[in-house]
Amino acid sequence: MNSILVRLGLIASCFIFTSCYTVRLRSVNGTMQPDPLMSRDDYYRGMEVVELDTVIKINLTSKDFTYLIKETDKCKSGKLHTIEFKNTFGGSLLSMVTFGRNRKMKIKYVCMNSTN
Amino acid sequence: MATTKTHHLKEWNTLHRNGPFPLKTLYITELEGDGNMPIKLERYNDVAKEIQRLIKETHEAGYGFRAYGSAWSMNDIAHQRDRMHYNGFMNIHIPIALDDLHPNTNFDASNLFLFECGTTIKRMSEVLSAHGKSLKTTGASNGQTIAGCISTGVHGSAFNVGAVQDYVVGINLIIGPNPNDIVYLERHTVPALTDNFASKICDRIIRNDKLFNAALVGLGSFGFIHGVVIEAEPRFLLKRYVKKIDKKIALKLSDTLDFKNSSFKIPEETDAQDFGNIPYHFKVFINPYNNEAEYVVELMYKKPYVSNYDDPFPIIKQSLYRDLIHLFTKMAENFPKSIPWLVNQLKKSILPKVDEELIGTLPEIFWDAPYQGPAFACSVGVDHINASKALKLLADLTTSEGPIPGIFAMRFVKQSKATLAFTKFPVTCMLEIDGVLWEKTRKIMSLTEYSKRIIEVLKQNNIPFTLHWGKNSDWAFPGLLETMYNETKINEWKACRKALLGEAMATLFSNDFLKTIGLVDDEVFIDEDLIVSL
Repeated sequence: MNSILVRLGLIASCFIFTSCYTVRLRSVNGTMQPDPLMSRDDYYRGMEVVELDTVIKINLTSKDFTYLIKETDKCKSGKLHTIEFKNTFGGSLLSMVTFGRNRKMKIKYVCMNSTN
Repeated sequence: MATTKTHHLKEWNTLHRNGPFPLKTLYITELEGDGNMPIKLERYNDVAKEIQRLIKETHEAGYGFRAYGSAWSMNDIAHQRDRMHYNGFMNIHIPIALDDLHPNTNFDASNLFLFECGTTIKRMSEVLSAHGKSLKTTGASNGQTIAGCISTGVHGSAFNVGAVQDYVVGINLIIGPNPNDIVYLERHTVPALTDNFASKICDRIIRNDKLFNAALVGLGSFGFIHGVVIEAEPRFLLKRYVKKIDKKIALKLSDTLDFKNSSFKIPEETDAQDFGNIPYHFKVFINPYNNEAEYVVELMYKKPYVSNYDDPFPIIKQSLYRDLIHLFTKMAENFPKSIPWLVNQLKKSILPKVDEELIGTLPEIFWDAPYQGPAFACSVGVDHINASKALKLLADLTTSEGPIPGIFAMRFVKQSKATLAFTKFPVTCMLEIDGVLWEKTRKIMSLTEYSKRIIEVLKQNNIPFTLHWGKNSDWAFPGLLETMYNETKINEWKACRKALLGEAMATLFSNDFLKTIGLVDDEVFIDEDLIVSL
């Protein structure tokens, strides 16, 4: 019995571990919008980061969702420099139990610095 | 109108977390949008007035003021405990037209560009590339602002070119709140701009070699650098080789830079007589914790620009997982004996891949460097003829009194004309020790103690040296400034600064770093001739 539980635990751990990953797209050109307050201490230190952590509903017929990047104080140029997509175990689970209708959207993006 | 946001803060830190340092107020200024003010020169002069307003406000409050850009310096040189100004949003550029060239100049107008202080090296490269031009050299990275680079002497390893400040031909400074306080400096022997153009961005033009050379590496204290005129050159390609070569040959090359007669040759990089070509860039990597018979060296050769070259962008190296860096630092602090093992394990992440060859433009080769966590860097400048001797001394110090979680490298830079350039030797070997920042423990000395020992060892062995202004050291070491520079140079720099700024503004643009190093001196003799056009 115990060995079955251990095996199940291991399988679950593998699933959780492998379902988490990060994909980052970064433009070769352009400079990022800086964060003069240096409020972060990760890969994005010195960059102005916009974080989106929400659940979106995907239409079963279109399977498509467009999020618009607009000019704001945290994205002065309205143009993208870096975008990071993160998939988590929770996100995969949510998608699974809702048959793909609800999707976790965990995104970070950094805009281009505005040029004068 | 340019606008400024004011943040009331308690502390400020560098990109690499070498602080925190106390701070009262942070100003962040942005230019008027080009939709409302389409003419660049108008926006440039408009923001100059805004900076003067901030200087006035700060002066009236009895505080100090200092501008900074990307905060890449690893000490407190960019810091002012009262008021700091972030200039990273000030990035106008203006190409210089033929009609704007001084009648006695030898510059080619198409190579001259005015860049505003907060323009990063990456942005400059992109602007220049769009004109078919390139920077002559960079700091082997691209995130620093141009004002930050020249203020601290940022350099690469182009040993026939110099550091970033060495291609600056004009400096536009805001030295106070009053009319007549916006000045444009050039060398009188090498003028660049007409009075007509210069007077569009300043109240006063001063052409004076001595003053220009002093202000060039001004440590952020010669006023607010609003813009610089740089000389670019036609775009070129760099062919980069990474080789492992015999230690003795690598050290002999460092001491002589005689690539022509060296036994080390790259077959593709020889002349018709089979002598080695002179590289554009030469760098030696040294892991002080292994006794391998070979060093990894990086060489780059300049090639004419062509458009059809292979994509130089490999898959960008993955950043080291942050928690891993934290773990390594903690291991280093608690188990110093593990440091050599750790450095060896990190070898693949730190050192370039041997026998890797690629070709690309300067900005492609020296592309973005991702933030890798708290870091330190000690960088000592010695005459390149003393390179191997200094390396041995500092490597022995590191292994016998350390270990220290870092790795060594040597880069080579041509002599600068700037009065307080640390690249002061005919060719300066910058001996660098880079690594992860650690905390002092019972078993491992602090970074300041290590830096102090570096100074002591070089002094004891009579090796003349300088220190990189933007890196870590024991800046309070007694008599450090006088050890590095002769008295004439020190007094010249102080006198030029005081003569240009006057008493009140010299105080306003001072900071703790300047006081610590001994460059704030009330007793300095002021000769008004220092700030006249010659």
